[in-house]
Amino acid sequence: MTSILPYRPSADSLAPLKTDGLPRLSPAASFSNRSQSSSSMRRSSTDNAVASFKPRRCKSQYPLDSSERHVEYILVASFHIDRGPIMEHQYPAPISGDESMLAELMLPDQTHVRSQDWTIFFLHKDTSGDDDESESGKKKKKKRKSQRYHGNEEAADVQQESPDEESDEADSSDDEEGGEGPPLMYVLNLVNTKQDNTVRRGAVVKAMAICTRHSFLHIYKPLLLLALEDYFKSPYPETLATLYNAVNAMDLSLMPKLSILERHILQSSNTKEMFIEKFEQMIRQREEEEGQEGDYPPSPKKASRYILPRDTHEFESKVAYNDIPIPVKIPTVIWPETVGDFSLIKLIQTFAGPHSTSPQAFPTHPHLTTSGPFTHPIIVLVNAILTQKRVIFLGHNRPSGEVAEAVLAACALASGGILRGFTRHAFPYTDLSKIDDLLNVPGFIAGVTNPTFANHPEWWDVLCDLPTGRMKISSHVDTAPVTEGLLFFQQQNSLLPNQASNANSDPTGDNLFIEDILRSISNRHGENAIRAKWRAYITKFTRVAAAFEETVYGASNLYIIGPGEELSPDSPTGHQTDSSDPASLRGHGYVWSDETAKQRELSASVSRIEGWRNTRSYYSFIQDIAAMYFPARPIQRPDLHHHHDRLRSLKLSHSEAAAVYIALAHAVKDYNGICQLLTVAPENQAGLFYLSMGLFHPDQVVRETTVDLLDRIAAHPAGRHFWAHLGRFAKLGYARVKRDRDAAAQSPISGIGQTPSSPTISNPGASFGAEPQSLVGVALGDGMSRRS
Amino acid sequence: MGGSVSKMMGKIFGTKEMRILMLGLDAAGKTTILYKLKLSNQDVTTIPTVGFNVESVTYKNVKFNVWDVGGQDKIRPLWRHYYSGTQGLIFVVDSSDTARLEEARSELHKIINDREMKDALLLVFANKQDVPGHLSPEDITNQLQLTKLKDKLWYVAPSVATDGTGIFEGLAWLSNNVKTQPQK
Repeated sequence: MTSILPYRPSADSLAPLKTDGLPRLSPAASFSNRSQSSSSMRRSSTDNAVASFKPRRCKSQYPLDSSERHVEYILVASFHIDRGPIMEHQYPAPISGDESMLAELMLPDQTHVRSQDWTIFFLHKDTSGDDDESESGKKKKKKRKSQRYHGNEEAADVQQESPDEESDEADSSDDEEGGEGPPLMYVLNLVNTKQDNTVRRGAVVKAMAICTRHSFLHIYKPLLLLALEDYFKSPYPETLATLYNAVNAMDLSLMPKLSILERHILQSSNTKEMFIEKFEQMIRQREEEEGQEGDYPPSPKKASRYILPRDTHEFESKVAYNDIPIPVKIPTVIWPETVGDFSLIKLIQTFAGPHSTSPQAFPTHPHLTTSGPFTHPIIVLVNAILTQKRVIFLGHNRPSGEVAEAVLAACALASGGILRGFTRHAFPYTDLSKIDDLLNVPGFIAGVTNPTFANHPEWWDVLCDLPTGRMKISSHVDTAPVTEGLLFFQQQNSLLPNQASNANSDPTGDNLFIEDILRSISNRHGENAIRAKWRAYITKFTRVAAAFEETVYGASNLYIIGPGEELSPDSPTGHQTDSSDPASLRGHGYVWSDETAKQRELSASVSRIEGWRNTRSYYSFIQDIAAMYFPARPIQRPDLHHHHDRLRSLKLSHSEAAAVYIALAHAVKDYNGICQLLTVAPENQAGLFYLSMGLFHPDQVVRETTVDLLDRIAAHPAGRHFWAHLGRFAKLGYARVKRDRDAAAQSPISGIGQTPSSPTISNPGASFGAEPQSLVGVALGDGMSRRS
Repeated sequence: MGGSVSKMMGKIFGTKEMRILMLGLDAAGKTTILYKLKLSNQDVTTIPTVGFNVESVTYKNVKFNVWDVGGQDKIRPLWRHYYSGTQGLIFVVDSSDTARLEEARSELHKIINDREMKDALLLVFANKQDVPGHLSPEDITNQLQLTKLKDKLWYVAPSVATDGTGIFEGLAWLSNNVKTQPQK
């Protein structure tokens, strides 16, 4: 199976770009992004930055002139007492495909026992028109039948996007497109059962569904409630048309489009005005387009027609349905595999509760029970999804909406917003009638309410019972194959003397991680914080997997190393190959405190990594790195994440730390570069704290370089929030370095610190036009005002 | 863990648990029988079953887990998914629907010839005995060709589901004949 991929480097293939079979990545595109955006980021000072912030035109996520509609179809089905589920109306046109299958999905099992139920299901359907930009999707489309409910799909036929498509558009380089073919059609369905003695057999069951390509389909819930109620009163296509026109009139055009780095920053931040500049700019652009009523500049007083969001994480809009304005909130950042309004907290608590009160031993399976028979069920679940097992959520006597939510949460859990390919093989709600289709899918996540699934362990590998909060590993689960990586580590481990002492500890770190998650939940840190933690967990998983591949196979598909960085795990990290070039600082990937820790963690993770290495999500991730994550990163070298991690988790010597601070300051210059740095220093992991420690470095050059870097960050629209969150201690350190330098500059005698360490770090502040003094003022003023 | 405790209690106090599958053509009265078992003193009005119903009924120290699965011909292929682990089949026949008795016979034989159902007891409710023109239990026995069955414990009970007549007698037969072997 490894023959598909170039794991084993032959002598001549130790080239830096180990991306055979992938599009060649030229750094040129990203360099052009850099220069472009840095010029567009010029502004005068942090205080009035917003006003004079004059970047390139900001694009809308949902432009007004887009041919894509928010909602593509409205469907109504009912349960006909003689004929069973039937489709009653479809608007604006019949959705192609199996109508009766759709009607069955819209009328879930046991819908006769409750008055109302929500379901979600997905359809694989082509985008109707031929849209030019998604050339990559076309090949796939031709193969695709016009529409079907999740059928079997091969994992390997993921599309490759050519990197030169992105050309000079920094924002468009990281579209959500990609992955496996056209986006799914998401269906939100509401079913009502009304007891009615005037009709034969005493009840009317009707369901209305909204079919959309947007993953935030939950915003339509209030509208469906109103519209279905109306449909009971007036069961005609006009009722569907009213809803269709209302939702498609929703205006989201003022929601700015963010780059992947910006999205990453926004999501991991709790700051409510993060990137508010972009929203302001959208409004300004709109007013310029509309207005030109003579007064220039537009006076701020009359600019009240558009309001800024109270929290930039959400965009507020309205849908006017039958003259009732219904407020809706659309998430600004939409990660892959995030569909609907599930709650990770709810999912985790459902299974963590029973486990903490009376843990039950799992039968062990190398892919699943990575911490022994008492592996936390949530870890078992994530392992199962990562290694592409068949996972079923069963909620007997629960509304089908509840199992659907659990399925969506599980997809997001395993994805972390990074990995994908789970929702495409998820069946948020399904029933027995689709079982044969379901069993054709290798590895799925499905939600059911029919307890007969529990009696068929041959249908699933892991069964998650929602009412009891218990998980079961099937007796029919395939045994994990013995792989090269497994053998490699078995050999390694036999050489390690302290094998026994490892057994009791937590070599994967999963127990600690789950404890941390549960603590966060009980401290009410909120859903966003938990999602950020899972994102970090999955990021770590991919980085550990990359290190694993490098260790076992000599090269990894999961990491594109920078130019000049040869792949040799033995060569020391932190070594500067070219002493005149700070960017030549070596080292990449995940950071362990020492080699033993690395070996311990890798050998504990072997099974699940090997289990992941043949799955759809693994292959899509390789594609995504090449097409999306890597090109989105303006700084390929040095590895910012790696070196920031070193600052965070290692005890570096002064000279090692100096090299890191100088390399970071040298590399991080422009808007996107700062974004990239901010993504590796999220607020929930101390933010700029580790960078700010450079202010206390014994070497003056390092201190001043750090000041310059912090100046650039503080003048950055996102960075300014990070700077604001930096502790007072660091800010005082900053002010001190600043004062010393100013003093030195004024007295002609001490010109020591004047020459920058490297000619390239000439006058970094100038590129932003930031006025350093104002920052000192900010730093001290902040402290003062708090004291008074 | 909890399950094994209750099973042990079951052995001590002599309660048994039995998984029952109730099938039959649509509108035969399955759901009415199920809820008449469950709520013996109440009037039952039912609406068509979307999918299935399942209820636990304890009668004469036997806990019956009764599965009632919708009967429209379109969804009959799904019945087989309920077979595994079933100890007793209740097959409900509308005794007045003589036109569809042949269809009922064919469905019934399909079920009990399935390998997974070979050990299951067979109880047939000759339901709707109150409707004019109904057949007697003996006629039903003949029409369903039950006498042809080899190695099968079966019983035909006359019933009127809407007022509960006969259904507990049927259940009593099941509890008397269920094998004392411990189930999984």
